[in-house]
Amino acid sequence: MAKELKVVGKSIPIRGSEELVTGKAKFVDDMPAELHVNVLGSPHPHAIIKNIDTSKAEKLEGVEAILTYKDVPKRLMPRANQRALYVLDEHLRHVGDEVAAVAARTRAIAEKALELIKVEYEVLPAVFDPEEAAKEDAPKIYPEGNVYGPQYGELVEKGINAPTLLEWGDIEKGFAEADVIVEDKFKAGSQVHSALEPYACVASWQGDELTLWACTQTPTEVRKGVAYALGIPESKVRVVSQWVGGGFGGKYTNRIQPITALLSRMVGGKVTKYVMTREEALVQAKRFMATIYVKIGAKKDGTLTAIYFKAYADLGGYGNFCGITAFWGGYPCCSYNCRNARWEGWDVHTNHFTSQPYRSVQLPGSNFATEQVFDAIAEKLGTSPTEIRLKNMAESGDMSPPEPWVANTPAYPRAILESYPSRTIMRQVMEKIDWSRWKGWGKPIAVSGSKRRGLGIVYSGYDGGFAFDGYRSQAVSLNPDGSVSILSSSQSAGQSPWTTQCQLVAESMGIAYEDVNIFAGDTNTGQWDLFGMRGSSSLTTGGHLLLMAVEKVKQEVRLLAAPKLGVKPEEVEVYGKKAYVKGNEQKAIPIPELLTQVICASATGPPGSDFPESTPGHKVRNAMVQAAEVEVDTETGEVKVIKLVTGNCPGRMINPGIVKNQYIGGAVQALGYALQEEFNYDEEKKAYLHASYANLKVPRAKDIPDVIENVIVEEYTERSPHEGTPYGAIGVGELGHWAGPSVMATAIYNAIGVRLKTIPMKPERILEAIKGWGGK
Amino acid sequence: MKAIVGGKVVRLTVNSRGYEVEVCPNETLLDVLREKLGLTGAKNGCGVGDCGACTVLVDGKPMSSCLLLAIDCEGKDILTIEGLANPKTGELHPIQKAFIENGGIQCGFCTPGMVLTAKALLDNNPSPTKEEITEAINGHICRCTGYISIFKSISAAAESMKRGGG
Repeated sequence: MAKELKVVGKSIPIRGSEELVTGKAKFVDDMPAELHVNVLGSPHPHAIIKNIDTSKAEKLEGVEAILTYKDVPKRLMPRANQRALYVLDEHLRHVGDEVAAVAARTRAIAEKALELIKVEYEVLPAVFDPEEAAKEDAPKIYPEGNVYGPQYGELVEKGINAPTLLEWGDIEKGFAEADVIVEDKFKAGSQVHSALEPYACVASWQGDELTLWACTQTPTEVRKGVAYALGIPESKVRVVSQWVGGGFGGKYTNRIQPITALLSRMVGGKVTKYVMTREEALVQAKRFMATIYVKIGAKKDGTLTAIYFKAYADLGGYGNFCGITAFWGGYPCCSYNCRNARWEGWDVHTNHFTSQPYRSVQLPGSNFATEQVFDAIAEKLGTSPTEIRLKNMAESGDMSPPEPWVANTPAYPRAILESYPSRTIMRQVMEKIDWSRWKGWGKPIAVSGSKRRGLGIVYSGYDGGFAFDGYRSQAVSLNPDGSVSILSSSQSAGQSPWTTQCQLVAESMGIAYEDVNIFAGDTNTGQWDLFGMRGSSSLTTGGHLLLMAVEKVKQEVRLLAAPKLGVKPEEVEVYGKKAYVKGNEQKAIPIPELLTQVICASATGPPGSDFPESTPGHKVRNAMVQAAEVEVDTETGEVKVIKLVTGNCPGRMINPGIVKNQYIGGAVQALGYALQEEFNYDEEKKAYLHASYANLKVPRAKDIPDVIENVIVEEYTERSPHEGTPYGAIGVGELGHWAGPSVMATAIYNAIGVRLKTIPMKPERILEAIKGWGGK
Repeated sequence: MKAIVGGKVVRLTVNSRGYEVEVCPNETLLDVLREKLGLTGAKNGCGVGDCGACTVLVDGKPMSSCLLLAIDCEGKDILTIEGLANPKTGELHPIQKAFIENGGIQCGFCTPGMVLTAKALLDNNPSPTKEEITEAINGHICRCTGYISIFKSISAAAESMKRGGG
């Protein structure tokens, strides 16, 4: 019988908040250092270093070490899913690409030294648009071509120029069966992650052992990459990454870590720090900029017959976790029960800085494109946005995708959906936004002078939180007093899996939350996570493995207690700091009387394994709806968000406060992408003009909607806690963030009757779109 | 190279404690706090006054310490996040408690600055409207929360302080 939950479901304040609110939490930049690093960036978007002379810089008093590509010839820095990256390289692929690094006694001296480094460049032609860069005659950023094909591995330097593909059914047949077909082209701009904490790294050596304090979402990958690049065993590298000041997909493995470690080694292990300025930090990583083509066909009754999606995504000069455009493009495909679909992703290198996933990869871009075409189909058919979605959306119990798929990119198992109450979410969102006010396509619900109000509603599915059981491990120790220590590979950058993981263990062991402690953010816990803090998976996959470890510990206790209780081990329950006979709590031995030793166990999945389906043939997935009411000022082009309603299913909420904050925080970030944040490169000046917070325009308190409400529909299947998702929880971290551009575009369309096809939908684009506009 | 060229001794009161510290003419208050006094609660988020993460109270007013020269702070009374809790008991200030209890903290990098700006606001205006809170914190960037839980935290702190919690 299911026990009443005592800790799961409670909005416990996040762990570490007292350290954070008193300034005691030590972020990487808070570490003192003996030496400071500055890096010389390329002034050209594409160039080869013909000659580099560091002799003058070396003589500057206070300079202790200088690193150029000559010191690390063709030294690889392995990372997941990307082109071979050298620690430093004479081939420079974007403005700011690392040319040389200096370690000096002060930052000012290091900066002065950079000015004394003389470099001769051979400037090469550059390309910035991914679709242009994919053409045969485009400047070659890599000799074999600019398209990153699906066959690349982390150390593979060559490959064919091919797209990633996901498909099922027969789209030709699907379009032939359609009564209505709409196709269109969209441009998704980039978005810079811009976590408030800049990229930072501190390295120190004790003999042949390296300690690296790094703010990263992937400490295990950093350890692996740095050990490989420096030619030392992974056992000699300790990566500490305890407090991370925001990530959002922006803080993966990068050159900053091996460069700092090498400079420190060159000067006998002195504590060496590299902290980027904000200007540098805003040109390190960004979301995939993309050109997207969508074609959708439907029958007269609104039934979808075919979806075709093709995107050219900008990887930048290197890319980090890339080659997956069909994958992010494919998320919307599994959202609808359409029997014929093809998703074609061209991942293309350009001469911009690195692209990498950003909170749901680039679903905001793919959803922006597909939902607008879907709306156009509905308008042609004379149906409403809600009717056509309710008719076609997948729901719990449906097979997803509807036909077997063929893919050359990561694809989740085809299975029956669980925890996917899409229609319930949609109806509740409609109620919260008062959808009955909708007056028809392109028709405002209110007009006041130049201001027109419109309603929009969008939907998608997403695989957040269910990846790679075999890519990480978690451990627990049951102490003789009955308390539990967690050794976790999970990190916290605001989403606080440390809190929720302690809640899971407290609940499962039947002990107080205060009796559980967690040690994390340090590779020396012995736990590892090759996937990292990505994909909304810290609580779900991390929690699942944690509860598997708890189950192993319980099993040890059962074996110890069974003979003393005079029953078989399977008849023993371990709960509430005691072992007792199932059904007879009085027949019990307190843990302190049973244990003289600590019982420790860790859990992982088989190598490379996916998260287990919740039961054979079933899987959980995220169903999401968002609606907005906007006010567009047709004189200024400004869009004010009057009300935003997010709609999600978190399975079961482990910590409702955290869940809600994730949805709201993610949604506001996505509104920034939709309306105001713009990555901005000036080809003539060879400079990124967005590289300050003042220019990037991330949302501030005055920019947020007047009202944000959340529809949260809990739906889960009761199982043992260690089977399937932990207590039925599914991912939340990315799941408020997917809809900003699509929900804004649909609401803006209904306010002014014009479709915006470029993200961000900033005022000048809106004014351009309504030029010569007569109003509907 | 000497660590300090043209250094000058400046007297500062930081968190009710007097310091005499030798500073360069171009050294910011933020650098002095973080590197010379070991008070790393104020964060260097942008270095140009855009983000608010380095905010400290100077004579009760929220200031971007990355834009203030330390030599200009002679004789000033400075409060950093390290000095906000009760120095004797360690009990948190009601604003700190409210941020913890109302989910006003996610990654926490903006938190010290945000809390100090809230203190300056509530010291001068015990019952701020939502608009007044928005105005006060608009100079701070929080990339995580979407600000809603921060509004809630500051409103809850105001209530708590009015009830005598402050």
